[in-house]
Amino acid sequence: MKLLEYEAKNILAKYGIPIPTSLLVKKGDILPAPLVLKSQVPTGGRGKAGGIILVQKDEELKPAIDKLLNLEIKGFIPSTLLAEEKLSIKKEFYLSLLVDRQLASIKLVAHINGGIEVEDNHDFKSWPIEDKSQLETTGQELADYYQLPDQTFALQDLLENLYECFIKNDATLIEINPLILTEENTLVSGDCKMTLDDAAAFRHEWSFEEQPAEANFVTIDPNGNTATIANGAGLAMATVDAAFEAGLKPANFLDIGGGANEETLLKAFERIVEYKNLQVIIINIFAGITRSDEVARAIVAAKQKITNLPPLFIRLAGTNYEAAEKILTENNIAILPDLESALKAAKEVIHE
Amino acid sequence: MNNLFEGKNVIVQGITGAHGSFQTKAMLAAGTNIIAGTTPGKAGQEVEGIKVYDTIKDIQATHQVDISVIFVPAPYAKGAILEAITTDIPLIVCITEGIPVHDMLAINKILKTSSSTLLGPNSPGVLIPGGNKLGIIPADMSLKGNAAIVSRSGTLTYETMAGLTNKGVGQKYVIGIGGDVIHGIGYKECLQLFQDDPDVDRILLIGEIGGQDEIEAAEFIEEHVTKPVFAYIAGHHAPEGVQLGHAGAILGSDKESADNKTKILAAAGAKTANSITELITLVVAN
Repeated sequence: MKLLEYEAKNILAKYGIPIPTSLLVKKGDILPAPLVLKSQVPTGGRGKAGGIILVQKDEELKPAIDKLLNLEIKGFIPSTLLAEEKLSIKKEFYLSLLVDRQLASIKLVAHINGGIEVEDNHDFKSWPIEDKSQLETTGQELADYYQLPDQTFALQDLLENLYECFIKNDATLIEINPLILTEENTLVSGDCKMTLDDAAAFRHEWSFEEQPAEANFVTIDPNGNTATIANGAGLAMATVDAAFEAGLKPANFLDIGGGANEETLLKAFERIVEYKNLQVIIINIFAGITRSDEVARAIVAAKQKITNLPPLFIRLAGTNYEAAEKILTENNIAILPDLESALKAAKEVIHE
Repeated sequence: MNNLFEGKNVIVQGITGAHGSFQTKAMLAAGTNIIAGTTPGKAGQEVEGIKVYDTIKDIQATHQVDISVIFVPAPYAKGAILEAITTDIPLIVCITEGIPVHDMLAINKILKTSSSTLLGPNSPGVLIPGGNKLGIIPADMSLKGNAAIVSRSGTLTYETMAGLTNKGVGQKYVIGIGGDVIHGIGYKECLQLFQDDPDVDRILLIGEIGGQDEIEAAEFIEEHVTKPVFAYIAGHHAPEGVQLGHAGAILGSDKESADNKTKILAAAGAKTANSITELITLVVAN
């Protein structure tokens, strides 16, 4: 789960990590300038897209709020804006804590030059963090690297608090960029991106603004002629790859996962029929833990409810296949033996 | 590692659950020697004629256990894996999907100093056609033979296996290493096993966009694998994910595309394909 900046900063503050004085604002609110107005969208590249406005005079606030509330950034329109105090910046750093796949460990990543251009750098410094007990030494090394010897204690504190925040919240990424050193020589989190592990939701009471679900359904080409539905991300990607290779134009990627029930399929069909050039739907289910008879029942039910569906080309295999075949055959729905033949059959009904 | 997958006495943790009992039946049907199962508090029950115990220790009082297959739901899976590690089960196959990353980080630390090998989690397990079925890979779509498959994706593993079977190419091993960020054995361990097993005559490596496991696998192939390797990376046409922050780019997500991984595997000597169909065609033609 990706949090919005203000949600992430609220969590940081709970762990004693300094954040700017801030307030959520909505249309019509009145606040004294100067302040920084920031669009709350769940994506990076906000600064470059004009999503942050420095409000110098009181009368600039209203037009700034109106502008940001209507500014789309990478497909996102903000529902909230954050107003923050204008900090006096001496220097900006980069700092993040994340789960590193290759190390199979938590990793601290830093760069002496933070801010929006940070990814142009290649010389990041990183430390695997196996245990809390390392943090004092790491904090010392971080202070040396940042060339901030007089901030050693502050950075050690910051790391300890950040680590505790990371562990206690089941975070997979906390990125503070920039970490600001103010003219008053204090360290403040200028911006924060935080991702929490959805799998751990069962042990937390999370209530954050709902963001678009992780990419189970992604539009590849809104003008495509072929919709794809598969189970498992790998198979879903492979189905799209195969459709391209077969000369079809896939409109979307959809992984319905293990829970291929009537409701999931109905939702999928409802979104798919929106594609204006849609001519065929490929369903590719290979059941392991999924049971293909349940998928077959779901297809029959969903097909009865949505009547304007283009032709379905269904490939089902695996667990409980015989039962699935029976259900589909009784309802006059054909099953194709493999993906190759499903794609071939689909190609034959496509007209330009 | 060969011996590990061919271990004789298999138990199922979480045997009384919906998946555990259903898949126990399928594993028994494929000929796997399941000697017992566990679900805390359900000792004395039976599932498919298999006796249920509270703990692994209780089973070990009378039986040697070589392999445990875990179907315990995610909130309790950490406890189940740790139980298997502390009772020195040589091979632990964890099918459970959705285990929190921080739980896996904790398990990984303990695993490093243990005598156990972990496959998974979020893995479909291992199938040795004609031998052990440890997990959920559908055995009726397999054929005994000499190809070996290793894959990160569950359903794509089945797709590849079924594709080979349809063309009459049998398999010695079908292994899904699981797609989670923190997992047990990976491509390298499986490639080593395939290289060392004289029964294996060709290797199929199935990958995905994201992560760098396939890039490390390519390095391993170049240095240690002499048998023919066929590779397919899914996601050539995958749209870029919505990137949050800079961390993804800093970690090198540009290197993690299907096209780049395919290029690196080809440079390491693998024969590469852009779809499963093409991959199967390549294997059959060579």
